[in-house]
Amino acid sequence: MRYVLLTVIIVVAGDRPATAGPPRDAAAAIDRLFQAAWDREEVTPAVPAQDAEYFRRLYLDLAGRIPAVSEIRDLLADESTDKRLRVVDKLLDSPASVRHFTTSLRNAFIPQANSQPQFRALIPGFEAWLWQRISEGQPYNQIVHDIITTELNVSAGPALLSTTSPDAFFVVRELKPENLASGTARAFLGVRLDCAQCHDHPFDRWSQRQFWNMAAFYSGFTRSADDDADNPVMMQNMTEKTDVRSIGIPGTEDVVPAVYLTGLEPDWEDGSTTPRQKLANWVVDSENPYFAKMAVNRLWAQFFGRGIVDPVDDFSENNPASHPEVLDLLAEEFINSDYDVKHIVKVITATDVYQLSSIQTHASQEESSHFARATLRGLTPEQFFDSTAEAVGYYQPYRSDNPFVVDMNSPRAQFLDLFRNNVESPLERETTILQALAMMNGNFIDNATSVDDSQTLRAIAEFPAMSDEQKLDTLFLSVLSRRPSKAERRRFGDYLLSGGASENPKSALADVFWVLLNSSEFLLNH
Amino acid sequence: MPRTLSRRNAGKYTGLSLLGAAASGWLPGIAAQAAQSESKTHRNCILLWMSGGPSQIETFDPKEGHENGGPTKAIDTSVPGVQISENLPQTARVMDRLAVIRSMSTKEGDHSRATYFMHTGYLPQGPIRYPTVGSFLSKELLDEECDLPAFVSVNPFQAFSPAAYGPGFLGPARSPLVVASQMTGQAEDTQQVSFEVSNLKRSKRVTRAQADARLKLLSSLEHDFLKLRPGGPGRSHVQSYQQAIRMMESGAVDAFNLDGEDDMLRDAYGRNPFGQGCLLARRLIETGVSFVEVNLSSADGAGGGAGWDTHQDNFGAVNALCGVLDPAYATLISDLQQRGLLDETLVVWMGEFGRTPKINDNTGRDHWPRSWSTVLAGAGIKMGQTYGSTSDDGTEVTNDPMTVQNLMATVCRALDLDHEMTNYSNVGRPVPLADHGSAPVQLLLS
Repeated sequence: MRYVLLTVIIVVAGDRPATAGPPRDAAAAIDRLFQAAWDREEVTPAVPAQDAEYFRRLYLDLAGRIPAVSEIRDLLADESTDKRLRVVDKLLDSPASVRHFTTSLRNAFIPQANSQPQFRALIPGFEAWLWQRISEGQPYNQIVHDIITTELNVSAGPALLSTTSPDAFFVVRELKPENLASGTARAFLGVRLDCAQCHDHPFDRWSQRQFWNMAAFYSGFTRSADDDADNPVMMQNMTEKTDVRSIGIPGTEDVVPAVYLTGLEPDWEDGSTTPRQKLANWVVDSENPYFAKMAVNRLWAQFFGRGIVDPVDDFSENNPASHPEVLDLLAEEFINSDYDVKHIVKVITATDVYQLSSIQTHASQEESSHFARATLRGLTPEQFFDSTAEAVGYYQPYRSDNPFVVDMNSPRAQFLDLFRNNVESPLERETTILQALAMMNGNFIDNATSVDDSQTLRAIAEFPAMSDEQKLDTLFLSVLSRRPSKAERRRFGDYLLSGGASENPKSALADVFWVLLNSSEFLLNH
Repeated sequence: MPRTLSRRNAGKYTGLSLLGAAASGWLPGIAAQAAQSESKTHRNCILLWMSGGPSQIETFDPKEGHENGGPTKAIDTSVPGVQISENLPQTARVMDRLAVIRSMSTKEGDHSRATYFMHTGYLPQGPIRYPTVGSFLSKELLDEECDLPAFVSVNPFQAFSPAAYGPGFLGPARSPLVVASQMTGQAEDTQQVSFEVSNLKRSKRVTRAQADARLKLLSSLEHDFLKLRPGGPGRSHVQSYQQAIRMMESGAVDAFNLDGEDDMLRDAYGRNPFGQGCLLARRLIETGVSFVEVNLSSADGAGGGAGWDTHQDNFGAVNALCGVLDPAYATLISDLQQRGLLDETLVVWMGEFGRTPKINDNTGRDHWPRSWSTVLAGAGIKMGQTYGSTSDDGTEVTNDPMTVQNLMATVCRALDLDHEMTNYSNVGRPVPLADHGSAPVQLLLS
């Protein structure tokens, strides 16, 4: 059955060139478009980023963590001219990168698992499924198609929680057609339908009827009346009828048919596919005006902190793209590459605009929609913890029986909880007082910066052949992924030389380590 | 128990200097100077937020005798002629200190939009990021001498609309300190609700001199890095560290420790997160915090979930929630009054909307923004009255409809603030505290 669908999709896409060109061609085209926009709007872009700045950003955006000390040392010493692109290729093949992209997609597809504790336990199974697909290099359209059409074994009860499947997409939305319609539109098409559930959308063009037209595709589920409303994860006796093609709008007498968001009606004569399969086919079709754009917009946001459309999943007439031609170009590249995420990543990272510095040299760089400068942006909680762990040399025990089991008491889990932020955009990231207190005084950082308990510190402190200057270098490279400036060498170097406030060289090292870990330079991406 | 908890004259914190915090916080000489601060002239506010949309018929606007009233009976209160629901007997006794608004009316029946609307006074639209009421009011009311953040949020349930709880364009300095309750103690029957703020104490391994030195180095690093890179995230980081350091060194954090409170008083508030949260709110107000928001969204008083969203089993659920609300609310009002704090503290009770007068097939009530209730008490309010009324079947406002904008304007006036005062938004446009065209309702004000 799946085979047939795959062929159908490829045939439909057949009238486009099937391959995309080398990434640098598309990258150059994108840079030309930005330059033209800057010229038009009298924007002066920032200077190109230096190596240290660039590699830290690249590692965070691709691998979800800062580079290890040895990695950054090697990169800074490497004199080859193509090293930046080679690192992109290397990172794209790494497990860290798979994990980072998995987390990113999971946050986009099942955000409810973060905000609602009863769904947290679904994360491992969903991530395991995504992980498999991403590491096998499955095209993005296939991944989305498989999510929408998943077989759904929700009646497995508690066993669901450790099943490797995309079922969580449905479970966190409690199998409700209205939630699934909103979720599908938002996650895969970048359209925020939500308001239209109860009335015509107040300021966008979607009508209530259109909302329920989409919901109708998901209206075949029936849940048993015994289901525990307090515990929606445990669904017993769920059944699905695959011949349901319409839905009644609650609170009214109206019954509306299943119709795609663009107004296109499904071909019901082709009785071989279920409503969900039909919907999936339409969502990932190359003619779908939203699918590819949403996907590349999200990828763009991963590297820039905001999409070309911002908020990232709010494509609407009231919210135009800052650079529509760039978006179109990337969307076309994506489709031509058969929805190959790696290809788009290579394009984006090869652009000059991605490689701009975050140092502001002109007022016109302040407006983020110009993309004239790399922005200060927040890290995801996962990026922050994994970077901290890398910097301090903390290695997490690996459970081989199920690497995705969430241990709520582990330092990682506690960190993630504390640093999970409610602000939508990384550009608006706020450090809370509680976070500041945890970083300054909390156990994890305290242990990591204590000479007795920290592996990294002890290694640096006791390394026989390292001069004070080299020790300072190592600290800066470990935490900030760069060497200290001249002024910093003086200031911090003098501090180390004097033994610091406790007149003890090891304590002084610990002090400097603490300072670097508590800085905004470490906490943020830039 | 002293009437006012200690405050420290901790001095001003300006710019990026964290060293400022260290200098006045730790050096013994300056510490000895802790002068008695002049008494604050600003008023304070406590917001009791009922997330999910509490049923007005089962709380402040019963409809006994009509089929829409369901089984809920009405009881007399300390104000002759005014009756409220039998679910709130203790509150009925303090009715003479309350002003119940029965004519709230909006068009917003969606949790997310309505929560945002009620919290900011504006509908979510376009690029303007409106600040939550705690942020914009605490900005005006704040007490410079207080070492705690001016705005504290207890057990918030933010899932419906995270933006409704943030400082918006006022920036991170106006973010609330979010405090979550924990249950401490081993055996279930001896468990206590506690509100400790973790990590307030410097590690024992770090000396005072070391801590000072660290902050000095950190200051310089922050300064060099951020002066070349303007942006919210950097400013927020420094701001939070400044506030955190100030809290660390202050005796004011004692406010979070409820152990010193009389056992009987703690019982009266109710030994659950909401009840103890209301007690905490009183203590924070005494310490100089300007705005405390306490959330009630489940029958054990905890913050998770939207318990008031009673689409099914409305009567049982609301009864259970009121079992938590009633003692806490009534005790808070009485406690504030006894301590002479009620005249300077405005207490606001509300949710995002009310519930349908017509009972549904699951003995529940659904969302109903057309006619519902909110309650004001304390500072600036003419107490012991009801404002506005609804029809016998509860479906229409019959007198004096109240808009969200006018409610906000009334709240401002009660706090001695000009509701037309503006702040500059993130798009440069000045935004008044209460929306253009709003006016305080004189009948509600003393």
